[in-house]
Amino acid sequence: MGRKTLVVTLALAAGVLALAFGLVRGSGPQSASAASHREAPLISMSPAEDLTDFFMFRSYEPGNTDKVDLIMNVNPLSEPGAGPNYYNFDPNATYAFNIDNNQDGITDVRFEVNFRTEIRGVTRDLGLPLSYAALPPITKLDGAGSEGLGLRQRYTVRMFTRPDQPIGKPGLLANDLIAVPSNVGPLTMPDYPSLAAQGIYGSSNSAEPSLPAGVRVFAGARQDPFYIDLGGAFDTLNFARTPPLLTAPEDANDNANAFGVDTLSGFNVSTIALEVPASYLTPDSSKAIGAYANVSKFTASSDGAGNGRGSGGFAQTNRLANPLVNELVIGTVDKDRWNALTPAQDGQFAQYVLSPRFATALQLRFGGPPGCVPLFLAPDQVAGCNANNRTDLVNAFAKYSPTGPLTGDWLRLNLATPGTPPVVASQKRLGGLAGDAFGYPNGRRPRDDVTDIATRVVGGPFYITNRAGDGINVDDAALPNTFPFLATPSDGRNRVHFNRTATPAAPGS
Amino acid sequence: MRRIALGGTVAAMAATVFLLGGAFAPPHEAKPAPPSSQADVLFPERAPVSLAGKDTPSLIAALQQALRRNGEDVRALDSLGFAYLQRAREIADPSYYPKAQGVLQRALALSPGDNLATAGLGSLSLSRHRFRDALILGRRTLAGAPRSGRNWGIVGDALLELGRYPEAFRAFDAMVRVEPGLPAYARISYARELLGHPRTAIEMMQRAVAESNFEREPYAWTSVQLGKLYWSIGRIDAAALQYRRALAIFPGYVYGLDALAQVEAARGHFPRAIALEQRAVNRTPLPQFVTTLGDLLRVSGRRAQAERQYALMDVIARLLRANGVKTDLELALFDVDHGIRLPAALELARVSYRDRPSIDGDDVLAWTLARNGHCGEARHYSVRALRLGTRDALKYFHRGMIERCLGNRSAARSWLRRSLHQNAHFSLIWAPVARRYAR
Repeated sequence: MGRKTLVVTLALAAGVLALAFGLVRGSGPQSASAASHREAPLISMSPAEDLTDFFMFRSYEPGNTDKVDLIMNVNPLSEPGAGPNYYNFDPNATYAFNIDNNQDGITDVRFEVNFRTEIRGVTRDLGLPLSYAALPPITKLDGAGSEGLGLRQRYTVRMFTRPDQPIGKPGLLANDLIAVPSNVGPLTMPDYPSLAAQGIYGSSNSAEPSLPAGVRVFAGARQDPFYIDLGGAFDTLNFARTPPLLTAPEDANDNANAFGVDTLSGFNVSTIALEVPASYLTPDSSKAIGAYANVSKFTASSDGAGNGRGSGGFAQTNRLANPLVNELVIGTVDKDRWNALTPAQDGQFAQYVLSPRFATALQLRFGGPPGCVPLFLAPDQVAGCNANNRTDLVNAFAKYSPTGPLTGDWLRLNLATPGTPPVVASQKRLGGLAGDAFGYPNGRRPRDDVTDIATRVVGGPFYITNRAGDGINVDDAALPNTFPFLATPSDGRNRVHFNRTATPAAPGS
Repeated sequence: MRRIALGGTVAAMAATVFLLGGAFAPPHEAKPAPPSSQADVLFPERAPVSLAGKDTPSLIAALQQALRRNGEDVRALDSLGFAYLQRAREIADPSYYPKAQGVLQRALALSPGDNLATAGLGSLSLSRHRFRDALILGRRTLAGAPRSGRNWGIVGDALLELGRYPEAFRAFDAMVRVEPGLPAYARISYARELLGHPRTAIEMMQRAVAESNFEREPYAWTSVQLGKLYWSIGRIDAAALQYRRALAIFPGYVYGLDALAQVEAARGHFPRAIALEQRAVNRTPLPQFVTTLGDLLRVSGRRAQAERQYALMDVIARLLRANGVKTDLELALFDVDHGIRLPAALELARVSYRDRPSIDGDDVLAWTLARNGHCGEARHYSVRALRLGTRDALKYFHRGMIERCLGNRSAARSWLRRSLHQNAHFSLIWAPVARRYAR
């Protein structure tokens, strides 16, 4: 199925997902008679395995900057009011962060997260598998005050390393942690931030199941940190200004939207955030690491001889490293296949990168010629790079350095970047393009405006010089400086989605 | 978010996406329509729209409207075909089948080789029990989109009903590899059930339930399937819990009502069972519901009312046939179970066997032969019906009665006991017979 594509950006249509579930997947007539053909559903939809974003950055939480944070989001465009089921993780899936610490393009360290679903409390007593009820209000994830959490998910976190890795403590990092539920509304969950804080596990939360020192974990609902004029993008790049170029002052102002509307305002996602000491990821933090997130689903065979996890195995259905690669670069016919492979197999897609269709589309719409970005090229590569041979993009997406070997699509992070990672208010949304050495493409933070960055990088110098962008410079919710670094999700009763006619006030960050 | 207004082609795109795999519909499955804008070039597989309504009727209305504006919109035609098929399932109204066929064939005429239309026609053939056609169409659409779980599903389902089990199971194994999820898990579960592994079948169906994420119909459908697996091994309470859960999430779900009626009957609560089955029949008069209601009335001693239900079968069968559905196998079983036109039932069973040489086809033919006195030939087909090792109490019962007819008293008792041991409540009318002769 094609649902495997990642990004939030293009996920607007995902709003129909919940509907499609009920409408399509379910109803297969099933017959009581042995002689009748049993029609099982043919369509599956799995927003819970659809990765929207992957972040990796050195922590900018004051006093904590020796840690690295890995965050993946799933459940694109979670409408906060979409009860009664809201949003959950997939108990048949393994969610994983994969780290390459020796630049060979092969996973060296891997963290796996698995969920299980419990039906409990009031709803179980009533025999009703309904999700949440304010009977009494939900103030705790467990024990008294948690009775209304009729559907609750617990999860485990495991660490794996290659045998030659002299790092970390592989094995079970945590067991039976509780995922933070969707933010239903103020009557059901009168103090959601406090409820969600109970789902931050780690050294600062000593009452909770113990994790190794320096490790923190969170799983649950968060506000979607991605911001984009998605409606404009879909309408043939019909942004609120034509051509969509920012003035220098607009471009420099990260706290106001130049034009357009954040189509993702008021939507949530489901987040898995893991914070570990850098030493868990690499024995040599002078060397940049690479990472990607992936989701694998349980598979099994018809013979039924075995059972359970052991006999079945898992098949990867989704992966995400650099933002927008699958969306803007990989050709339509190959998106599913791309999602099923590992970065080491990315070489076969080189043609898509060398001659990106998105650059062609930009030119069609705005007339600016696509070109190479010298920043990503070694001096002797400049001459050979042109609009139909974008070796600069290959370097940016698929190499640790312009002269290094091809390693496929990894999000790369230099742990030895000098200085202290800036807090959100001091971060530049354009990251490396604006001189912020701790921003994308040196890892990726929630604040980074990858829409504008990708547009300019894929477009090339014309788009960089002229400050191309969607006009949206800031998310509708302020990002916190503390783990898990994403904002409290909108609640189902009071959520607001900005309309193009309205003039949204951009909150400062 | 869910009510952004739709434009024609966009509505169709959204609906295609909606019906065929969601926001990120498999790009290679949709033959790209001539791009109407650069957005189509950029994002051909993703429509930035939601749907005007939240149910199939509003979807159908939106698509019909889109087609009034542009009658040659292939995507809208494809989507409308799938929407009709969906509606037919929801309300068990076969009159949607010819409508689906019409729009899907129009799509194929406008866009020869259109993969979605081919898949839609494959699905339609399955619904109509035309499994050879379904296999041809499924293979055709699979060739164009080998990473589509749906296409593997069409092929596997068809092979299964044609009795080509090893191939069918290989198709399901491929399906779960390319697209692990509810549809594939449900089929793997069914394969294991057929192979006589109810425990691992239950495990897979539990995973399918988890996949439904408590969405109404998927949850109800998978829960009822899970309940039936428990039922098949005689775990009535576990089955009832699943049925009640399905009905809690989806009140009035007919398959849940029907299943729960059988539980109530097994517990001897016949008035309750009749009330439940009557509700199912009132909502959707499916042949199997009508049969069960008739049987419930009959075993409750309400013979005249039972006969009225049985008499409905002809009407329903005519309606199904008029809409292209093959019902020979079901009718043969109904007739032979109720002692109606036995020689004609045998003819029907032989005809249907040619279309559907599955283990169910074997079993119905065996039983029909036996009831017509051809017990030697019946035994041949009964052996075939049990060749996969399926633990099916009804098939065991048929075999027991055939052995009895052949004078193999001890073998007969052994099969009948096995039948009752598997599920003491396997049939309203035959379980008591099994008990009588098992002694």
